[in-house]
Amino acid sequence: MCRYLLVYHSKPESEDQMLDDLGRILADNEVDTESTQHFMLAVSEAFTNALVHGNLRDASKLIKLDLRVNKREITADIRDQGRGGLERISTRKPPTPLAESGRGIDLIQHYASNAEFSEDDSGGLIVTIRQTRHTEQKIKG
Amino acid sequence: MEIKVREEGPVAVLDLKGRLDLASGSTLKEEIKKLYETNHTAVHLNLTEVEFINSSGLGSLVSILKETRLRKSRLTLSNLASYVQEIFDITQLSHIFEIFSSEQEALTSFQSPVTS
Repeated sequence: MCRYLLVYHSKPESEDQMLDDLGRILADNEVDTESTQHFMLAVSEAFTNALVHGNLRDASKLIKLDLRVNKREITADIRDQGRGGLERISTRKPPTPLAESGRGIDLIQHYASNAEFSEDDSGGLIVTIRQTRHTEQKIKG
Repeated sequence: MEIKVREEGPVAVLDLKGRLDLASGSTLKEEIKKLYETNHTAVHLNLTEVEFINSSGLGSLVSILKETRLRKSRLTLSNLASYVQEIFDITQLSHIFEIFSSEQEALTSFQSPVTS
C-alpha cells in the first residue's frame, strides 16, 4: 500500500493544485480511468465543502488529504479545521432546481463506493471516501 | 481553465478547455457578464474539451443561466463528454439547460424561434 499526505491552504486555486496532485498519484498507481474520474469528483466535492463551508475560505486554515492506494481500492480522508460540519450535512436540504450549491454531498454519495462523515476532537469534519478499483472488480468477476 | 471567445454571427461562442470548478467557474461567470454588458444577447458554451466538472462548476453555470434569464438573453451548451453529461443527468440539470449534441445544432437553433 502507498500512503500520501497532502496539505493545502483554503484558497480557491488550491482545488486545482489538489486535483493535479491527485491525478498524478492515481496515474502513478495505474488506477483505471473510470475509478479515477469517480474518485476525483468525490474528493473534489469533499475538498470544496471543506474550503467553503468548513474553513469558510480562510486561507490560513488548512485542508489535509490522507490518501491510501492499494491494488483493490483507493481511500481518502479529507479534513478541515471548521466546526459543525456533521450537523450541517445531516440537516442539509435537497437543492432547488436553480440552486447554485448543495449538490456536492449527493455527488459524493453517488460516485464513491463508500462515504463516511465524522469529526475530529477539535470539531473539524473528516470525509472518508473509498473507491473500489474497477479493473480489480473485473478480475474478481 | 482556458476560455476562447469567438463570434458566430450574433452568438458569442466560448470554447472551454480544462476543469470547470470553484476557481474557473468564477472566471467564467465574469467573462460572460462582460459579454452581456457589451450587448451580446446570446451565448453558447462548447464543452468539448471540458475534462472535469464538479458541483462548483455546475453552480457557476446555474448562476450564469439565472443572469441570462434576467437579461432575457439565451444560453446554450453543446458537446458534453459522456461523463459530464452523466453529471448533468444525475443532478437533473439537463432539464434546466438547453443542451445540444453539436455546436452547429445549437447555432442553428438561434436562427429559428424557440418553442417552449
